[in-house]
Amino acid sequence: MARTVGIDLGTTYSLVAYVADGLPRVIPGPYGSPLCPSVVSVDADGSVVVGEPARRRLLTQSDRTIYSAKRLMGRGVADVQDELKLFPFRIDPDSQHVIRVRLGDRVFTAPEISAFILRELKSWAEDFFKEPVERAVITVPAYFNDAQRQATKDAGRLAGLEVLRLVNEPTAAALAYGLHEKQRGLVAVYDFGGGTFDISVLKLVSTGEGDIYQVLSTNGDTHLGGDDIDNVLRAAEWEEIQKIGLNGFSGLGEHAQMLREAVIAAKHELSLVDKTFVKFPAPDGGWYKREITREEFERAIAPIIERTIGPVKLALADAHLKPAQMDEVVLVGGSTRIPLVRRRVEEFFTRKPHFELNPDEVVALGAAVQADILESGVKNMLLLDVTPLSLGIETMGGVIAKIIPRNSTIPASAQELYTTGVDNQTGIDIHVLQGERELAKDCRSLARFQLKIPPAPAGHARVEVKFLIDANGILQVHARDLHTAEARSVEVQPSYGLNDAEVEKMLEDSIEFAEQDFSERQLIEARTEAESILLATSKALADDMAAELAADERRNIDAAISLLRAAVLGSDYKLIRARVDALNQATMHLAELMMNRVLHVAVEGKRLEEV
Amino acid sequence: MTAITKKGTVCWRCHAPHSGGHFCAACGKIQPLARGTDYFAFFGLPQKLWLDCAELEKLFHQLSWKLHPDNFVRAGEYERELSLERSSQLNDAYRALRDPVARVEYLLAHAGMRKEGAAKQQAPPELLEEVFELNESLDELRTARASSTDDSHLASLKQHLEAEERKLETKLREVDEELKRIATEWDAAFDAGADQSQRKALMSRMNDVLNRRSYIRNLVANVQKELAEA
Ligand SMILES: [Zn+2]
Repeated sequence: MARTVGIDLGTTYSLVAYVADGLPRVIPGPYGSPLCPSVVSVDADGSVVVGEPARRRLLTQSDRTIYSAKRLMGRGVADVQDELKLFPFRIDPDSQHVIRVRLGDRVFTAPEISAFILRELKSWAEDFFKEPVERAVITVPAYFNDAQRQATKDAGRLAGLEVLRLVNEPTAAALAYGLHEKQRGLVAVYDFGGGTFDISVLKLVSTGEGDIYQVLSTNGDTHLGGDDIDNVLRAAEWEEIQKIGLNGFSGLGEHAQMLREAVIAAKHELSLVDKTFVKFPAPDGGWYKREITREEFERAIAPIIERTIGPVKLALADAHLKPAQMDEVVLVGGSTRIPLVRRRVEEFFTRKPHFELNPDEVVALGAAVQADILESGVKNMLLLDVTPLSLGIETMGGVIAKIIPRNSTIPASAQELYTTGVDNQTGIDIHVLQGERELAKDCRSLARFQLKIPPAPAGHARVEVKFLIDANGILQVHARDLHTAEARSVEVQPSYGLNDAEVEKMLEDSIEFAEQDFSERQLIEARTEAESILLATSKALADDMAAELAADERRNIDAAISLLRAAVLGSDYKLIRARVDALNQATMHLAELMMNRVLHVAVEGKRLEEV
Repeated sequence: MTAITKKGTVCWRCHAPHSGGHFCAACGKIQPLARGTDYFAFFGLPQKLWLDCAELEKLFHQLSWKLHPDNFVRAGEYERELSLERSSQLNDAYRALRDPVARVEYLLAHAGMRKEGAAKQQAPPELLEEVFELNESLDELRTARASSTDDSHLASLKQHLEAEERKLETKLREVDEELKRIATEWDAAFDAGADQSQRKALMSRMNDVLNRRSYIRNLVANVQKELAEA
């Protein structure tokens, strides 16, 4: 039976986990760690490297390597202008509603890059189980919008995974904690990761049937995380470097990555010690080295930590709760290892937060629990999550009419009735958006579509459109003609991200690629096999015993050899295999003769010993 | 209990006559939702406006446990569709019923008695004078802010508006009390088996109160916005 896993597709690291004997566990990769760096690199020959080896290439081949690609998921070129100042993304100039990044001389969308990471984790799990993995629960930041969620789902599909459910990261963490600590009551999950910040307020209720994890509200910032801390430190260090002058250090490309690694190492150390050094090998030999204290570090990053408090306040206000009313506060995400973050959270909630579970692993563990529930059909808990952003439609004058408010439990739906304004109008344009602002131009455009109307007098048409946010937080649109009660198909063109046809095309390409990869491997194996049998045969033919072969046997063998040699020059692995078989057939008698001789020698040898 | 599954039909799966619940009583399969099912009926509740919120939450959790798409991941496409339809309806219904004002809004909308129309922009007669004065003060505030020469004038204007805001909040509470009173009348009329015209009269009164309420709320929001910018 194929396995189902939980995957945390993170900005900095990704993990895969499973459930055994009722307990979730992470799966280690080939380097022993369960953390797979979310880094993808493309070789000059077009082959793709993922994880730890790709991370190392940031220092040697930074122009064909990408990190933090999660920041590009579900976004358009205009959205990422700020990020481009801080991240070395090489955006393809032809990008429009989907960002395409250049790695070496190939071009990829963000879902394709994420798919490489998912495929890597899938293979970790397959190596671990020694059986195929076909289905997964994948986590997303709670504050991800529709396009970002759809992009994640597309990535799963491109990686050959059936995505059973997208689960919000803080909710997954709450699930893992609830299981571990038997927590009940009101829980705030503060999830500060590599590139995103989420806060979720949950109510944990025990019922006769099992435990319900009900999310009351969520808020966050999908572009706020450890990355931003690194960038602040890097900018500060670069200023210092320019002050003293460092021969041959450009601060660009590989140098920028070296500096980035150095400040990240210092950041990690400063969670444990009061002072450390930012250090890296200088281009002209020797080391660049500067002491940094925890105090200096905290001063530099305090504004970033403070940016998390706004969303926390909003989430509590939406749940009609005060900070002190929380029964538990849980810390999730690598950035919550920073002592200043812990102090700030404790000060805000006036309560010591929990961090017993590894903050890097807890989301993947929760995803595994949910995957297990969905796969086994044995349910002892239920997640009730919410949509993070209000859903609206554009009305007259570019004003938004909100139809599903933020923090509505999902699935959620709303119906709108449409009619025509003029005689023989054949279509009604509908624009769907997500966001909290009053005007369409300030909200996130999700999709546009046109309802087709048969010609009729104005006001005659009655079309009901149902907007439904499914359990993954993804929008579905259905339309129905109320006169005929017929369902109308709606072709939705997403404003950002890939449409179905594009995903289909990529899927075909990737299958083609996979088939190509498969054939190449088969060819290499077949050739190796052919070489070894050709070598063995020529050795045997050079032996005295070969003289015992009949003339037609010898002719058959020679013919099979030349046929195989010809096949090896071509690239048809099936033909090579067939001719290897033919040669094996032709040399059967020769092999027997050789075998007898070996036995003969062995027996003789024995006799000699016995003498 | 009111039927919330299509009337006069049989179970799509085993063809037993449907029992009117979320699931077929004979085979246990989830059933398609009748069009226009009202939210009260979805929970098996009468159309009354007083609700025990703790009890409603319990019902919500019980139904979530049964209807959530998690239960149907391995089911056929049709059942997955039905689960999505029913669980979204459950969440929509809970969202509308758990809040007392949204509950009245829903009751009226479902009966086709929620009429906002021009009333949304029109000041209720008893507030006309106050609204006129308030708008003048807001204008003054904007002018003072733009010129920003006289800080003490700005401060006193703000103080005045803050007092106005408190007055409006009091009005809002009065309106909420009024809504509660009519809601109690509605429940009594419901229990007494009141006829259509009596119900319509009560609904129309509630509609007026809701319009007044949303008008005052908009005023409060406007004042707050201007104060925040000042
Ligand atoms: Zn049945």
